[in-house]
Amino acid sequence: MLTIIKNTFREALAKKIFIGYYIFYAIVVLFMVFLVNMDAVEGVMSLADEKAIVHQVETGFFLLSWNLIIFFSLISTASFIPSMLEKGTIDLLISKPISRPMILLSKYLGAVLFVFLSMVFLLGSIWLILSLKSAYWDFTFLLSILWLTFAFAVMYSIVVVTGLTTQSTVITILVNFFLIFVLCPILSIREAVVFSLVTNETVKFIFDFLYYILPKPGEIRDITNAMILNEPINVWKSSLNTETQTFTVSWMSAISSFIFCSAMMAYSIYYFSKKDY
Amino acid sequence: MPVIETQNLSKEYSSGFSKQKVNALNDFSFSVNEGEIFGLLGPNGAGKTTLIKILLAITFPTRGNAKIFGTDVRNHKAKAKVGYLPENHRFPNYLTGEQVLSFYGRLSGMKPNDAFKKRIDELLELMKLTQWKQTKIKKYSKGMMQKLGLAQSILSEPDLIFLDEPTDGVDPIGRKEIRDILIELKSKGKTIFLNSHLLSEVEMICDRVAILNKGDLVKEGNVDDLTKAENIFAIHTVEPLNIELKQKILAIDSNAGAGENEINTEAGVDNLNKIIDLLRKNKIRIQSVSQKTSTLEELFINVIKKDNIS
Ligand SMILES: Nc1ncnc2c1ncn2[C@@H]1O[C@H](COP(=O)(O)OP(=O)(O)OP(=O)(O)O)[C@@H](O)[C@H]1O
Ligand SMILES: [Mg+2]
Repeated sequence: MLTIIKNTFREALAKKIFIGYYIFYAIVVLFMVFLVNMDAVEGVMSLADEKAIVHQVETGFFLLSWNLIIFFSLISTASFIPSMLEKGTIDLLISKPISRPMILLSKYLGAVLFVFLSMVFLLGSIWLILSLKSAYWDFTFLLSILWLTFAFAVMYSIVVVTGLTTQSTVITILVNFFLIFVLCPILSIREAVVFSLVTNETVKFIFDFLYYILPKPGEIRDITNAMILNEPINVWKSSLNTETQTFTVSWMSAISSFIFCSAMMAYSIYYFSKKDY
Repeated sequence: MPVIETQNLSKEYSSGFSKQKVNALNDFSFSVNEGEIFGLLGPNGAGKTTLIKILLAITFPTRGNAKIFGTDVRNHKAKAKVGYLPENHRFPNYLTGEQVLSFYGRLSGMKPNDAFKKRIDELLELMKLTQWKQTKIKKYSKGMMQKLGLAQSILSEPDLIFLDEPTDGVDPIGRKEIRDILIELKSKGKTIFLNSHLLSEVEMICDRVAILNKGDLVKEGNVDDLTKAENIFAIHTVEPLNIELKQKILAIDSNAGAGENEINTEAGVDNLNKIIDLLRKNKIRIQSVSQKTSTLEELFINVIKKDNIS
């Protein structure tokens, strides 16, 4: 198992796209250095002010780049499954005394672990910079490494399913793009936007149904931000207060995403174990 | 106990969108014993690769079952002592030759210790790839890839080795080296299962062969038995044959070829004995009587032709 994970890392490192990915991260980090420098120059601030600014920078950063980071991570790892399934590669892998579920899980964990380390690098540096520049060490922010990796892991289960069934990297990326940037955001604001336009009950039901089934990468970000800002989190249902325009996220989004991910992986393992290669 | 055993294996592929079915294997039952080099022959598309894939649980049979080392192939533990060289194998091309061996060796369950490193070096040396050890395999030639693939398949010292056209793309010297390696492995008691189109090679190294055509087993047996042409004999005599005698021989078998000290007949055992009686009556001493052999290639072509007609 470790061997496959290690090889997945090698594969990731061998990918040209990986370099672009890290250059992007480095630019983000440098940008943060610059930005926070400006703040510090402005003069003496109270700790409370600094705390508020740090929180603002952190949550603002996630609002802008959360989905992008997930999508970047998906692009750089999307080819793992199709390339593993190529004729002449998969034959040899299966001929080894390792069970098929183990092969697939190792591949999945390899990708997740790789993204986790990238997040440690990216978010860790951002945290360090923010903490050094202000006097405020925001340890809750470090939790976002786990949340972001979790959001990735959930979305990557879709990559595994589409990769296994279509054996095409392009389709895999397109499906994920559609989910992350189109369908999931729409579903999460369906009550405020879609339902005010549509009155048909069946359509509403379909939207609700999809919302509860599909993963919610955006709302996982909202959980992260709520934790940073120490805001309340609902247990079961995310809600939008129309008067104050404040959105309160719920733990349910994370739980249903996790269930979705488990279901996808269970199906992947079943599919992979039965298939002829 | 046989190392490989199959019972009534059948495999149907349903091809794409059409309802048409391809029978890659029909009711295939056979076994391979320990220490044998077994050759599976057959024209393109006969189902040879399909059989190996079923034996390694890469593909699942439609009906029937298969065992290796007495364990059902669906159990991945059955593959603990198995090596495999797939046809058109592909290694991750971002690895070097050494890393490829290390990766697949670890997957075969080898422990990463000094002995493991030594074994890798030993095999690279054996395949004459030592100087390419640190080179990314993208830069390898076809023959080099093939040799690396073979090294990979025998790395963990498996007891059973499946080779799907191992000499494909390898030059004549390399092929000879590979044959020597296989014979060496056999002498260590390993069982080898070989798919090949190069019949002369198969003839040189295999103990037993099976010929597969369109998914059917059409012939199986020891190489020596199969290549004995049934009714062709040669008699060598000490004394030369005179014309009178030659005519008497032609009276027994009009197609016989009679030379100075040699008679060839294709007319069966009875006529052979009649000719021998005749010679002995004429006080001709017989030096030897031998059954002619045909090459595996001749046999193969005949068998496939016959099968395609029927
Ligand atoms: N994945 C597949 N889907 C559908 N048909 C297949 C598949 N794999 C093989 N076949 C068919 O099964 C038959 C046997 O194929 P197989 O690869 O076993 O032949 P082979 O004897 O190894 O041939 P070759 O000597 O060319 O390697 C062929 O008719 C082939 O078209
Ligand atoms: Mg083949």
